[in-house]
Amino acid sequence: MRIVGRIISYAVLVLIGLIGIAPFLYLLVLSSKARIDVLEVPPSLDFNWAQIKENYDVVINEKHYLTFVKNSIIITGVSTVFALVLGVPAGYAFSRLRFRGSETWASTILSFRFMPPVAVAIPIFLLIQHLGLTNSHLGLILPYIAFSLPLVIWIMIGFFDEIPIEIDEAAMMDGLTRPQVLFKVLLPLARPGMVVSATFGLIFIWNEFLLGLYVINSSEKETIPIAAASLLTVESPIDWNIAAAVGVLTVIPILFFTIVVQRYIVRGLTAGAVR
Amino acid sequence: MPAPAPADDLETGRKTSHAAPTQRRREVFLLLGPAVFYLLAFSVYPLAVSLARSFQDYDTTANTWTWIGTGNYRELFTSPEFWQVVKHTMVLTFAGVTIQVVLGTALALFFNQQLRGATLVRGIMILPMLLTPVVVGLMWRMLLNPEWGLLNWVFVELGFGQIGWLTDPNVALWTLVMVDSWQWTPFVFVIVYARLQALPEEVFEAGSVDGANWFQRTRYLTLPLLVPAIVFAAVFRGIDAFRTFDLVYGLTNGGPVQSTSTLSFEAFQNGFEFFRYGYASAIAYVMVIVAMIGITVLFRIVNPRKLQNV
Repeated sequence: MRIVGRIISYAVLVLIGLIGIAPFLYLLVLSSKARIDVLEVPPSLDFNWAQIKENYDVVINEKHYLTFVKNSIIITGVSTVFALVLGVPAGYAFSRLRFRGSETWASTILSFRFMPPVAVAIPIFLLIQHLGLTNSHLGLILPYIAFSLPLVIWIMIGFFDEIPIEIDEAAMMDGLTRPQVLFKVLLPLARPGMVVSATFGLIFIWNEFLLGLYVINSSEKETIPIAAASLLTVESPIDWNIAAAVGVLTVIPILFFTIVVQRYIVRGLTAGAVR
Repeated sequence: MPAPAPADDLETGRKTSHAAPTQRRREVFLLLGPAVFYLLAFSVYPLAVSLARSFQDYDTTANTWTWIGTGNYRELFTSPEFWQVVKHTMVLTFAGVTIQVVLGTALALFFNQQLRGATLVRGIMILPMLLTPVVVGLMWRMLLNPEWGLLNWVFVELGFGQIGWLTDPNVALWTLVMVDSWQWTPFVFVIVYARLQALPEEVFEAGSVDGANWFQRTRYLTLPLLVPAIVFAAVFRGIDAFRTFDLVYGLTNGGPVQSTSTLSFEAFQNGFEFFRYGYASAIAYVMVIVAMIGITVLFRIVNPRKLQNV
């Protein structure tokens, strides 16, 4: 009886894993097929090694995919760094300094995390247009910093709260000022928090779509999701094998990143931080 | 670098700065100021502009704004299309979150046993939430393709007949719910599972000693203890599902015949495709108000600073 239970448990476990990863594996298989072979019925799951180079060649060379990767890396990297520069001291202030209305301020800032992006997208788009930043990296970086800032502050408050206040007190006894305490003593201790908030900032910005769609209107400045969307939503007939290759290349950086920072992701999720 | 603090400001109490008021104000200003000003410029200001625009009408040809009072809102609330979109959003939010809570909690209970390879499967489960929504839409459009899609083929072979996953207006919204659940059930799982792992051993031991079976222990001991985490995950997920945009764009583009258009998508179409900025802002503001109610509920349930300890 117990053996039967174990077998069922393992069958369920495999099933769960399959449901999670099968759509992605299917995308991978399709990306290796010739255009005609995608349409085969019943669907075949054969991996076509001979075709794979040709498909990815089209995406990388003809569709200039590496340009989009470069744009995404620049925009995501710069935005995340600045979000941390602004957010870490703010998180520290909320954790350590009590001032009038500090709780209200914190809640208000956190609530921006839940605002529907469409509500700010139109004015931000018009603002960026007014500043003459349409179609530039900066035009996305400026709003993206604001989008990920509440998240960074939120996560950092939690991490600073866990560091004993006696450490601050001891450092201040030694004659350090508040900012010195933060930068010299606490930052090294709060590094996991910074990794968690950077991780979520990166994922969020890497995937951001709505604003990018309208701020960027020339293909050489597009980020990956926008490029993927414009390559994929073209009216049919779509070259599905090429679309699948685009999908795979979009997902692979996230995949590697996920594997590297996996434990931080779980930590961040339980901090209520996804997206 | 600021000037060194005077000696008498060095003393601090727990969570409280006993520094002189001016000194403390300067510290707060220095540490918090940049973030606050940044958010004022790129979050508060746009939200305020949106509110003002929702009472205005934009003329595309003349590039001018005219005050029309509550005109946009009146048009909104009397438009059958708007109420349709509200309905879709409600279905996606409530049906989606219900499915995700039930499955996510079940998964958490399932993983609460020692299984070889469970760590790997948990790692796989995190993946869907991190994927670019446009690609998620693409993947599922392929899986469900009526001619050659793998999942569609499986359903046909199993005798369910040809289902119009993305072409039948009565089905497409539920396809959206399904894909959203595929992507976000793991979120509920992670939250509930973390809580489950944090429960003290004694809880389970006490139950076993009393001779309660697994079902009884789960129903009367474990689940009640998980309620705070489940409620938190549900409200959190609900606020996010309410503003779903990317997945709609990638999977259905609002169709067929507007049957999957959500509030976010409707606002986006009116604003960025039809250039009805004022009307779009009114839709967006209805969303802001609903989101604020959701946030208030969420922050009532958990102190925002203590979110990490749910």
